[in-house]
Amino acid sequence: MRRSVGNLWMFAVWIGMAWMALVSPSLAVPAYARQTGQACVACHVSFPELTPYGRRFKLSGYTIGKRQDLPLAVMAQMGYTDVRNNKDDQGQPIVPKTDQIIGSAASLFVAGKINDHIGGWIQWTYNNLFVNSNGQTKGHSGIDNTDLRVTGSSADADSTELRWLYGLTVNNNPTLQDVWNSTPAMGFPFTLPPNGISQIATTLIDGKLAQQVAGVGGYVFWNQQVYVELSGYQAADGFFSVLRRGQLTDEPGGVKRLDGFNPYWRVAYNREWGANSLMVGTFGAIFHVYPDNTMPFTPTDRFRDIAFDAQWQNIGDPNTYTMQFTHIIESQDYRASYPATLEGTPIGVGPTPANHGDTLVTDKLKFTYYYERKYGGTLQVNRTHGSTDTGLYAPGSVTGSLNGKPDTTFFVAELDYLPIQNVRLMLQYYDFVKFNGAGSNYDGSGRNAHDNNTLFANVWVAF
Amino acid sequence: MRAGHVLHASLAMAALVLGPSVARADSAADEAATKLAVHVCASCHGPGGNSTSPTFPKLAAQQEPYLVAQINAFKSGKRGEKEAHDYMLGMTTLIDDATAAALGRYFARQPPAAGEPGDPQQVARGKQLFEQGAEGKVVACATCHGAHAEGNGIFPRLAGQHAPYVVKQLKVIQSNLRQSPVMHGIITKLTSDDMADVAAYVQSL
Repeated sequence: MRRSVGNLWMFAVWIGMAWMALVSPSLAVPAYARQTGQACVACHVSFPELTPYGRRFKLSGYTIGKRQDLPLAVMAQMGYTDVRNNKDDQGQPIVPKTDQIIGSAASLFVAGKINDHIGGWIQWTYNNLFVNSNGQTKGHSGIDNTDLRVTGSSADADSTELRWLYGLTVNNNPTLQDVWNSTPAMGFPFTLPPNGISQIATTLIDGKLAQQVAGVGGYVFWNQQVYVELSGYQAADGFFSVLRRGQLTDEPGGVKRLDGFNPYWRVAYNREWGANSLMVGTFGAIFHVYPDNTMPFTPTDRFRDIAFDAQWQNIGDPNTYTMQFTHIIESQDYRASYPATLEGTPIGVGPTPANHGDTLVTDKLKFTYYYERKYGGTLQVNRTHGSTDTGLYAPGSVTGSLNGKPDTTFFVAELDYLPIQNVRLMLQYYDFVKFNGAGSNYDGSGRNAHDNNTLFANVWVAF
Repeated sequence: MRAGHVLHASLAMAALVLGPSVARADSAADEAATKLAVHVCASCHGPGGNSTSPTFPKLAAQQEPYLVAQINAFKSGKRGEKEAHDYMLGMTTLIDDATAAALGRYFARQPPAAGEPGDPQQVARGKQLFEQGAEGKVVACATCHGAHAEGNGIFPRLAGQHAPYVVKQLKVIQSNLRQSPVMHGIITKLTSDDMADVAAYVQSL
């Protein structure tokens, strides 16, 4: 009896954890493990980072294995966040709910194969720490990462390996469809502190369009060596509106709204030898963005993102090493916002740039080590720099920039422990060397970059 | 017509009727197995079973009975090492007997990749162990695995196999995680150095 009460209690805790927590789009999908009968490590170095087999599974449209009657999975996260100096210059707290254990969000996945050529995943996330437009923290749910595929393939002449692997994808986050973790949507950090202090500028392709757009694209992977993809993104309207369900589309500035067809491309060279795999590639996109998302009739600004990336993995027993590098260059052409700002009539809540064109560059370099795929450590350096633009990057307590520069440099150190494959305990530390242009008094209110240093402990459960 | 004749005639009829259908079933299974090998197995075991990663064994030119026996061992949980559980258990439960047999045929007929040379001294020590064994320690591996480590029926081909995989399996068998009654008794006294030597040798073949 006592034992069963204990079990019940444990069960309640697990269910509680499952439904209380989580934050960022992330993707261990145990529904796939049930479909293939394989363990998470077959496809993931540590979720969501993919192994070569995981990449093939994804490019095959998640169709390997046996279709499940109930292709469901749940994921939950709870954590503890501590910001080095969580008070602004007025003494007000900046990040809510720090220094306490709190469930951040939970996700439900419908994921798996429909038949041998069609499969996908749909993620629905309840964010327990959503901050609404009034600055209140409350629960909110909406669609998260979604990727649906139709795929096909053909074998080489002696029927030993795939010659062509090709498919179509419909998704709601540029680079979500990619299989290398040097691209932003599935890039490191895989989990972020909820409501952390955000740097003033990141490139559009680096997560700013997630769950706001609909993309349709085609890809081919030739001989397991050359990957080419062409996609087009548009505002997730009409038929595609489910792909942005839960987003603040009616609030000025709530989302980014694209005009028309916005091309995305990807070329990668992949090679595998011994326990190693290497990819070098490039990806990019051109986005036409309405300055104010609620005014989709004005002229648009144009952003051209071009990225170069590389990934190396050595997956062995007991040691696994992986490295990812990403270099994104964004050319911003404020062809709509700049003239409007000059005339003194900015477009809605859109940007008010001081320059007609700006450049924004982000570099990320990450190194991960895992022992027995159970104990892991990761180091990442993340650096953004770009044009000085006092119109875009204005002084302001905590989130502003005194010198009009977007330059931000930070290191992330992470320790992981997976006692069982469905649970990951994680400790993360963000060390900001430079924030919004400077190391000290970056915001004009006396705040230093190091004041934003954040410690984040997190429990991630997926089953 | 005597009873014996009736029996013979019936058997002949049965053979006529069943023969082609058995062949058809075989060819359907072969087709399914080839598809599976190319789409799924190849992603870890490499094109035609010539894997590059030492985590995953080479299957090209492996003995057919051994391949089928291993699929069944994964399926029934008789291979207890972590990798067997993580990668193979679930996949093999989706494989029926006909497809398992066809997978055995598929990989057995694939041409093997050339061996990889290792440290000459280590290879020489391994060759000695493999061909002649060590008095009071281990019998010659060649007795069952063949003079060129080509295998024989249920005894696997070892020629060209990844050395780390061979060492890992020797340890797995030594610690009784993998049910292999013959091997258990034979390799009890094998040291880690012996394993590395013999693995370097078979990898070089």
